[in-house]
Amino acid sequence: MRAMVNLAPELKQRRSRFRVVPVSVVVFIVLALTSWGTILLGDSGLLELFQPQTWRDAGEFAGRLLGLGVSGTPAFLDPASWSNALRLSIDTLAMSVLATAIAGLLALVTFLPGARNVAFGELRSGHPAVSIALFGALRVNFAFTRSVPELVWAMLIVFVVTPGILAGALALAVHNYGILAKLMAEVVENIDPRPARALRAAGANGPQMLLYGILPQVLPQFLTYLLYRWEVIIRTTVVVGLVAAGGLGLEFRLNMSFRHFDDVGLLLFVYLILVIGVDLASAGLRRLAR
Amino acid sequence: MHRTAAVRFTEGRGLLTLILAAAVLWSLFSVEWDRDLFQHGGLSFIAQVFAALFSLDLSSEFLRIVLGAAWTTVTYAVAGIILALAIGLPLGAIASGTMARSPVARFVSVAGVRLLLAFMRAIHELIWAWLFVVAIGLSPMAAVLALAIPYGGILGRIFAELLNDVPEQPLRALRSSGASEIQVFLYGRLPIAFADMLSYAFYRFECAIRSAAVFSFVGIAGLGFQIQLSLDELLYDQLWTLLIVLALLVIAVDLWSSLVRRSLTS
Repeated sequence: MRAMVNLAPELKQRRSRFRVVPVSVVVFIVLALTSWGTILLGDSGLLELFQPQTWRDAGEFAGRLLGLGVSGTPAFLDPASWSNALRLSIDTLAMSVLATAIAGLLALVTFLPGARNVAFGELRSGHPAVSIALFGALRVNFAFTRSVPELVWAMLIVFVVTPGILAGALALAVHNYGILAKLMAEVVENIDPRPARALRAAGANGPQMLLYGILPQVLPQFLTYLLYRWEVIIRTTVVVGLVAAGGLGLEFRLNMSFRHFDDVGLLLFVYLILVIGVDLASAGLRRLAR
Repeated sequence: MHRTAAVRFTEGRGLLTLILAAAVLWSLFSVEWDRDLFQHGGLSFIAQVFAALFSLDLSSEFLRIVLGAAWTTVTYAVAGIILALAIGLPLGAIASGTMARSPVARFVSVAGVRLLLAFMRAIHELIWAWLFVVAIGLSPMAAVLALAIPYGGILGRIFAELLNDVPEQPLRALRSSGASEIQVFLYGRLPIAFADMLSYAFYRFECAIRSAAVFSFVGIAGLGFQIQLSLDELLYDQLWTLLIVLALLVIAVDLWSSLVRRSLTS
């Protein structure tokens, strides 16, 4: 029976393999043509792209970002702007770390019952009806939290939590929790079942089997995913900060609306350094995890 | 070699655990816990929002608005990803350094283009959208370009890696039969890496839908714009309908892309 269950998806895959891809490519091409058609037939702004005035404005804007043609000291040469940007980027960094930690903690607590083989496969333990209900609820939860973008979560969370680092971190955490928990559940679905099987044969109960048979196998992968998500989170921290008022985001928004474009340019520069720095730090830490 | 447990702990995973714990502690201290952390009326907001879940706005006129907004979001995502492919494919091919003959040309093309790709993807698409709205005005093209640049950067980097990781043997066979590097690329590398490239592009398409939905923040139409309107007017029954439609859209594209990826990589 189990062999049949395991074989069925593979057989189905082999049969559909030659159809899924060409059909999908054709559907995507049709979608692409209608999308571009809809955009170009409407007021697309494409014609404006070819007018010299647009390019003059865009060039002037780019110059302003670099501090050309602004009255007073441009932000790039102003120590006060630099120290402000530095302080805000430390806040931004803290927000990203806190967000990663909360997302990781939530995922760590909930990913196991969301794996198929733990819910109703070989690694199941406990009452089947309970674990299947838990599996369904968790999967819906993973899917919903990750399909709503961070920015929308931020818009909702600021109604409850005062705008600041915590509000922003929570918004980032909720979305990334869904992604992490789903990835982790998939890792559990692909693990080697033999250690858990051996433990069960030796008389281990459900929790013991999970603790010693599954977790040691999946934790290194979990850390790697967490560090990868941190790289994505630091990029998004600025965006969440636009509404959740923490770190560089709020300052970016204020300077945009006051048209202090030289300050915007400095913030973008600091943001770039921050993103690249986190990418390097994450790569270094991932090497430690190996 | 004899090592004490303490020494071993400061290496590898032990050191990693220490660093991560210290970072989390530090981030906790940067939150101002003494301030009023929660909004007055936050709990009643949660109660109202959850109560509205049972009175979803499913009237046909609202659904028409929602579906229209969803379609707008999809068109921006699709148009953006097409342009991102048009940017990412050539840049990725150059950044892979596989077509350059001399070491100098290879270094210039690899280092220069990789730096450009890193710059494109480091800035979040919403920030690009804002910059484009200011620079060229509020229009669908701003949304498409804002998606295409960071996504082009990501696609270019991944394509470069995939093209580099192609096994050498079939390429050597082509070379020994007198193919130029460009021919080796076109008839060797590209066809071999194609399945993985297509699979990654489909995954990015799924991300593009989510990204396009938040462009509303800078005034671009779509699902996010409607979400913002419903929040501004405190119409939580409409908010839920919009969130559920967004989730269903993302899940549908997710299922589609994982179906394609599974058939491509199995």
